[in-house]
Amino acid sequence: MPEISFAATILPAVARFPKPDFTSGYQYPTIVHSVPWETFWSWVDIGLLVVMMSLVAWAVHRRRSRGVVVGVSIVSVLYFGFFRTGCVCSVGSIQNVVLALTDSGYRLPITVLLIFLLPLIFALFFGRVFCAGVCPMGALQELVNVRGWRLSRAVSWALGFIPWVYLAFAILYAATRSQFIICRFDPFVGIFRMGGDMGIIIFGVLLLILSVFVGRPFCRFLCPYGVLLGVVSRVARRKVEVTDSKCINCRLCHHACPVDAIRQPNEAKVAERRTTGARRVALYLLLLPLLTVGGGLLLQSQSDTLSMAHRDVWLYAQLTADEQPDVLTAEVEAFHEMGRSMDELEASVQEVKKSYRLWSALAGGLIGFVLGCKLIRLSLKRTRNTYEVEPSACVACGKCFNYCPLKSQL
Amino acid sequence: MKKGIYRNIALVTTAFAVAVITMMGVSWWQMRKATPLKTEVMETLRQLSDTNADNETLAEQVRELDLLSRKAYFTQESQLKKGGWILCAMAAVIAFSLRMYYKDTKQLPDKDLDPIDEWLTKSRARRYLGWGVGAIVAIGLIVVTMNGVKERKLAEVNRSTGQQVNKLADDSPESEPTTELSSDSLEGDRSTDQQAGRLADQQKSDSLEEKSDSLKVPAPPPLPKLTWNGFRGTGSTGRSAARGLPTSWNLGNGKNILWQTPVPRHGYNSPVIHGRNIFITGADSEKRELYCFDLWTGELLWTVAATGITGSPAQMPDVSADTGLAASTVATNGKQVCAIFATGDILCTDMEGRRLWAKNLGVPDNHYGFASSPLMYGNTLIIQYDNNDASRLIALSASSGRELWSKSRKDKIAWSSPILAKVGSQQAVIVMGNPAVTAYKVSDGEELWRVECLSGEVGASPCTADGIIYAASEYATCVAIRAADGETLWEAGDCLPECSSPVATKDKLYVATSYGAVCAYDAATGEVVKQHELTTPFYSSPVIADGKVWIFSNSGKCYIFSAGKDFRLITSFDTGEQTFATPAFSDSMMVVRSDKSLYAIKKK
Repeated sequence: MPEISFAATILPAVARFPKPDFTSGYQYPTIVHSVPWETFWSWVDIGLLVVMMSLVAWAVHRRRSRGVVVGVSIVSVLYFGFFRTGCVCSVGSIQNVVLALTDSGYRLPITVLLIFLLPLIFALFFGRVFCAGVCPMGALQELVNVRGWRLSRAVSWALGFIPWVYLAFAILYAATRSQFIICRFDPFVGIFRMGGDMGIIIFGVLLLILSVFVGRPFCRFLCPYGVLLGVVSRVARRKVEVTDSKCINCRLCHHACPVDAIRQPNEAKVAERRTTGARRVALYLLLLPLLTVGGGLLLQSQSDTLSMAHRDVWLYAQLTADEQPDVLTAEVEAFHEMGRSMDELEASVQEVKKSYRLWSALAGGLIGFVLGCKLIRLSLKRTRNTYEVEPSACVACGKCFNYCPLKSQL
Repeated sequence: MKKGIYRNIALVTTAFAVAVITMMGVSWWQMRKATPLKTEVMETLRQLSDTNADNETLAEQVRELDLLSRKAYFTQESQLKKGGWILCAMAAVIAFSLRMYYKDTKQLPDKDLDPIDEWLTKSRARRYLGWGVGAIVAIGLIVVTMNGVKERKLAEVNRSTGQQVNKLADDSPESEPTTELSSDSLEGDRSTDQQAGRLADQQKSDSLEEKSDSLKVPAPPPLPKLTWNGFRGTGSTGRSAARGLPTSWNLGNGKNILWQTPVPRHGYNSPVIHGRNIFITGADSEKRELYCFDLWTGELLWTVAATGITGSPAQMPDVSADTGLAASTVATNGKQVCAIFATGDILCTDMEGRRLWAKNLGVPDNHYGFASSPLMYGNTLIIQYDNNDASRLIALSASSGRELWSKSRKDKIAWSSPILAKVGSQQAVIVMGNPAVTAYKVSDGEELWRVECLSGEVGASPCTADGIIYAASEYATCVAIRAADGETLWEAGDCLPECSSPVATKDKLYVATSYGAVCAYDAATGEVVKQHELTTPFYSSPVIADGKVWIFSNSGKCYIFSAGKDFRLITSFDTGEQTFATPAFSDSMMVVRSDKSLYAIKKK
């Protein structure tokens, strides 16, 4: 994200190559850095975001055309991905918003706020059109996906819990001014930037290879912004529909969907007694506050360990470690260099730990609450007579349109 | 037919992509930690060039090799970048070809992975979710519990070790050794004192093991967290995070004195603390020795003598009485401890007193005696070897004694000690000499900047805070230099030290002089904001700890000032023993070397 950057771990060339010693009296010219024209590009980003989401919304809801979605995906990968190096990112903007809400000293740029809000607003009206092809991460996975290997839905539902955990930790670390973990562990940014942490790049490449066979693994099982869009999409004014004609239950769309978002007809005939199911739901409803409080307390009990992600806590631990390392870290050197006192550092550490106690409890509470809600949702029965699109899971890629035999009747 | 072409394109491109990835991987692995200018050939050529400054052919060879290394590195880097783009293009071709190949292949309905009844699928999902979350929580709890057990065990080990130490301290030091030690455990040049100490240790330790169940001694203090790794502390900052220090003590009645012990041989060097060890040196015409004392008890743990060193003079050099043969403070990095003497002998041992290496740098041509203290940065031992015949800055490997680099210096003889500071993004060593304050890169000794502002005999050392370097020397000047670029920010000449080195915070610079004035400069302007006329000379350097400035006069009077805005004298009292060394600080302890003894101060 624009406000906090994480340096690549590659040793910079300047550290390896000091400037040559000129004996001829040559003076190095003063380096003048031009001010980046960032504001202009930020507004271009906003403009393109709106145009591209509008195009997708039109293509998905009016035309039922996948071609437009693919076209938008190519533009998104080239512009938002490679040209803007993946850093006009609604996914990462969650952290900026959290930081702005918790830290009065942090000024949230209006463009970042818009990047966070616009996909949610569009989702409120048209579903997850942002995910369809405007998000460069989703678009990249979409473009390389050629096969549709399916996962067991039970496994998919269980794995769908991971993005919530990721979101909770992203909020925790942003609110405590520790790290922007979504940016730090963004698997595709290294590809877009042609550099960065090698481990993350390898992870990104592996995800892309997986995407060739399995539809959008990152969007489904990792993306923390996707879960927010999914929640909003549930109440979308216009939900994605495979056809506006009466479904003939041909099953074609169900198997075509790369993200398994089309639910088959279900008569809710279960072997289980109705009262047993009702008791289970009642139990989970009772467990919900317990899971919320329990999750909060559990994570709070580890708040000191979690707080090691904060630079001051980490620095303090290094300074007070029993065994000092052979080579001092840059942070420890800087501490000695700046003349900061240990009292000052210790006060900061206490403040950070206090903040961690609060936010780890809230993050744990969120995880527990979501777990409870998921269990309740997985305990509810409903009847469906035709194949229906699940709005929270559908990424509006439009793949199902070409499969529907009723398309010609539109 | 057409589909076959796309399939073949995809296959061939994939093969190429794998080859490119392999080559890029190898290239990246080679570049990962490459430092092409640090090759042996380059280092040798540089050193030759340094010692043969007029040899233009040699200089030209260095330049050519330097250029070649840079070209090779950046060409490789550029190729890696191009490889990345080629790989992206290949990925695009593969994705396109595969899409075209599968264009008309529909995902037709197949056997469902899940039961037709959604309810059963949901039941499975509930189970998976429950198992998954349960397993993660269980693993987390196991890890946390294991860490807790590990910490408790560590604490137990510390406690039992400390119990032994306490018990040993209580036992009579005259107890007769009864057990022989193997020769392997007595490496190096330890003295007979040390052997006796070890034998006694073993005997007492055995005895302790037998009685361990019945011993009920109080738990010792935990291992101190703060270290004081060299002259004026780690990095030579002169600042410590120690807290809870007593502001008065009495060597006569033992008030707030943890222990006091005599020092075998004389020396003006200051104590250094790492873990439970205190290091000092002592020397006379017979021996030069490195001592290790126990922080909790003051017991002499071991002694290593600087003997059998090739090039070491048989006759001690002439030194003045107020410098002596052991004026340089030792330096440690927690693995090695290194000492230097006025003979030019360097001696390095491990923390247990096993001699690692020793060498002679050449007997210094120094009319008062060599007094500069070495500095340790990781495994690099830096020595400011400024003497009448030649001045050099030398970096040695602390573990092996191998010379890492050596720089000839234009400056005249000085008695100052180097410090560490950051110059821009680079770690530098700052050196005061006559006439310049100079910054060198720690990694290769490259001169980063040089400010000529001093004169006369430079005995004080520089200090740094908040990106500013301060250098002050009597009859010369007090100067503030911006570390990043060597620009002089201000100069003042009101209050200048002779031997005592200043200490700085972000706001103030504190100076103690040999004519009795103790001053606080405004760090921003160089104006003396407060001055105390104490009419007693100071050779010991002021140290900031526990929110106070601590200074010892030569006569042994301790002055404690508030380190805040007012620089108020909080208290002063006579310790009763002359003090020239700078005190060392641990967590809540201060260790002072007086002219007669070594003692530890702790609030009781």
